Amino acid sequence: MPRPVKRALPLALLCTAVATALGACGSSGGNSGTGATADTGAGGHRGGTLTILTSQDVASLDPGSAYASLDLNVLAATQRTLYAYKPTDPTNISPDLAAGPPQISPDGKTLTVKIRSGVRFSPPVNREVTSRDVAYAIERGFNPHVASPYASTYYGDVVGADRATGGPIAGIQTPDDHTIVFKLSRPTASLVAQATVLPLSAPVPPEYAKPLDAKAPSTYGNHVVATGPYMLTADRSGTVLGTGYVPGRSLSFVRNPNWSATSDGRPAYVDAIQVRIGGSTTVAGRQVLAGRGLVLADSPTPELVKQAYLHNRSQIFFSPGGGSNYAALNTTIPPFDNANLRKAVAAELDRQQMRTVRGGAVVGDIASHFLYPGVIGFEQAGGEQGTGADFLANPAGDRALAARYMKAAGYPSGRYTGGQMLQIVGLAGAPDSNDAQIFEQALQDLGFKTNLKLVDSSVMYARFCGLPKARVQACPNVGWIRDFADPQTVLDVAFNGNDIAPENNPNWPQLNDTAIDDAMSRAELTVGTQARASAWGAIDRQITATAAAIPWLWDRQPNIFSADVRCVPELWNQGHCDFAYSSLK
Amino acid sequence: MSVGAPGLLAQEERYEHDFESGVARSPWQLFWRRLREDKVALVALGVIVALVLAAIFAPLVVKLFGAPGPNVQDRNAVDAFGTPLGPSAGHLFGVDPLGRDVFARTVYGARVSLLVGIVGTGVAMLLGVAVGLLAGYYRGWVDTLLSRLVDVVLSFPVLLLGIGIASACSLGNGCVAGAITPGVRTVILVVALVSWTSIARIVRGQVLSLREREFVVAARSLGASNLRIVIREILPNLTASIIVYSSLLLPQTILLEAALSFLGVGVSPPTASWGWMIADAADNFDTQWWYMVFPGAALLLTVLAFNLLGDGLRDALDPRAER
Repeated sequence: MPRPVKRALPLALLCTAVATALGACGSSGGNSGTGATADTGAGGHRGGTLTILTSQDVASLDPGSAYASLDLNVLAATQRTLYAYKPTDPTNISPDLAAGPPQISPDGKTLTVKIRSGVRFSPPVNREVTSRDVAYAIERGFNPHVASPYASTYYGDVVGADRATGGPIAGIQTPDDHTIVFKLSRPTASLVAQATVLPLSAPVPPEYAKPLDAKAPSTYGNHVVATGPYMLTADRSGTVLGTGYVPGRSLSFVRNPNWSATSDGRPAYVDAIQVRIGGSTTVAGRQVLAGRGLVLADSPTPELVKQAYLHNRSQIFFSPGGGSNYAALNTTIPPFDNANLRKAVAAELDRQQMRTVRGGAVVGDIASHFLYPGVIGFEQAGGEQGTGADFLANPAGDRALAARYMKAAGYPSGRYTGGQMLQIVGLAGAPDSNDAQIFEQALQDLGFKTNLKLVDSSVMYARFCGLPKARVQACPNVGWIRDFADPQTVLDVAFNGNDIAPENNPNWPQLNDTAIDDAMSRAELTVGTQARASAWGAIDRQITATAAAIPWLWDRQPNIFSADVRCVPELWNQGHCDFAYSSLK
Repeated sequence: MSVGAPGLLAQEERYEHDFESGVARSPWQLFWRRLREDKVALVALGVIVALVLAAIFAPLVVKLFGAPGPNVQDRNAVDAFGTPLGPSAGHLFGVDPLGRDVFARTVYGARVSLLVGIVGTGVAMLLGVAVGLLAGYYRGWVDTLLSRLVDVVLSFPVLLLGIGIASACSLGNGCVAGAITPGVRTVILVVALVSWTSIARIVRGQVLSLREREFVVAARSLGASNLRIVIREILPNLTASIIVYSSLLLPQTILLEAALSFLGVGVSPPTASWGWMIADAADNFDTQWWYMVFPGAALLLTVLAFNLLGDGLRDALDPRAER
């Protein structure tokens, strides 16, 4: 049962979290004079308190259910997953809790990981971590009370996972305290190893968590224990709710007394981390630029980006994070069941202006396909040059070409005369709402009658763009971000016809192309970085050629921080400052 | 007989003089005379007339000032960072982040505000007067039923109710079998639904006292039908109240439209609306002040003009009423 990425929800979450942007979901590579390269953080000063400002609360502190960008950033500082990405290398996994590289059997169906000794849970658990804790952490992901958003997606090939409800899974074995073995039904061990960078593989002590997991939903997040350099302030019983975490107000982290620097590559320079929740991004951004020890966890508004770029150049960093923005056209109902009409819209759309209203060239490159810079397969799909699709050749739009496609679709005047009212659903709040209006203008220029509805991102995905029966014709503000470096996590669920679902449908254009689905089935089992890059690059070209979705921006994530903060971005995630590597000057 | 120069006489004396001279004046003539002397109300009336004309002839006004249409996205009017440019010869009031002319959008925004204000108030008045007349005239269970209905509607938080209805009707073909389409019609519905209650209460109270007056009793004893009594005897006596309360309700409905649009449930983009523009501009008010100041000033001016005119009308129609 292939279930690669399901990042629709998190994209929704993290992009509400950043207020200004769905597009604020990163991207990589690129040019445009953004200059700076990522800091490794080495040699930072020890001590001090780092304060994070954010307009949105965390969604979950439980490593079993957390998936939004800020949550992943918090957990990266407090938990140790089997593997992790170093701040400057978002492509290759390195051992974290694991003692060495993953051992994959020749048939690709067995993954063996050795675990470090000497890693201990924070108080009140205090004892050493064993492989059994990692097994329990993953098993509980299948518990409906925990409901990991991606357990079945990435661990679905583990033998017995299809029947798992939280109890032991036959395919996860712990022959000794420091070895964990995954037995898989298909040769996807490499993908499973990469998926352990997500917080689900962070150990959870069963004797402590089981009573909490028995509740629906599990309350482990309110009592979470740490293995990383920091932990949430907790009372003697380990409760963090009300002490270290005040919902809607604050999070407060201190050093984990049981953490040992000798077994961890993270420097953990600062003594404490405070997260202040609430308020407007604009106000918080100004405080960050003028203040001391502050970091903004939201995507800054275009105005803040401009101010920082022009006047506080050392206080802004554009992370090649990851993410592509596109406009999804509903391929199942008129008028966009007609491929020529879709291509006409793509040709007409001024993607350059869609980028300008987000802050201009500094915030990303104009997209011409879906695998974005930094993801394996990007070059094979056509790289910066694009796939060669003529309707995406001109970023500012090509009216003559659009007219030709309109003619080919049966509208000789170059204007649509179907007369029906098209429902477009976009994101409320600038700059997303402006992007939606540029898209709407392109449709109107082609003669379409339109009704644009602007809503919050969770509503957009749950009630409109991800709900086929809502019969929305176009969603200009959707986007996708990888879970880890493999191209499958970008393309599969988002465009696989087998993934079209009546609710929470992540295949927003409802593209159902047998040739593409077959190619994906083959590519899933392809082994080796180069072979996967070629296979998925070719699939990207196929998807782009259908014009089921119009890619318009590969994001670069702007981060702003105070002048005395040395920000080390976590490039594997959304590109914000990594708490465990950043320091105060 | 000469009545002398009017300006030399105090107001009361002149009325007396007219009375003594036996010159008959209709209530409307008296009203107009009083209103004419209220300079503030006249200025307000002038502003409103100018606004209405600007709204009706918006394309012409915009052309006259050399501005592009309200939905024209001028790619050259924003800088490389997407910051819109301020007031200039080409764009009198500057542009918004999409490069659309703020002057043109402010002028076109008057259309939405006035349309919602006038039609919304009109519908609310019709509804309120009808309910008030029925409740006050028939009393008994009709009155109980209608008055409780008023109480129920009044107990709803106006904005929450508005947001609910607007959300329900703002998709695709709208609601009520397509009668209420998304956009202006939905907003008018919301405005009318939440505004009629106060009128109904006032009208009911007046009808309760009017129906006991001698002329009504006389009409009834002459065999006039209920319909005739209500339409021909009672309704004309409510005219002054209706005019005054309409003029005071109108600015409230304009503000309600702005509030709904500000909250994102009003007219749908790209239609220009002052409330939407103000909401859109709020984040960058300090650096892109023109985008908020001009629609804000237009809203302020309109509401103020209607309020001042309303006060003037009340004074002119019922000079004994206390402020």
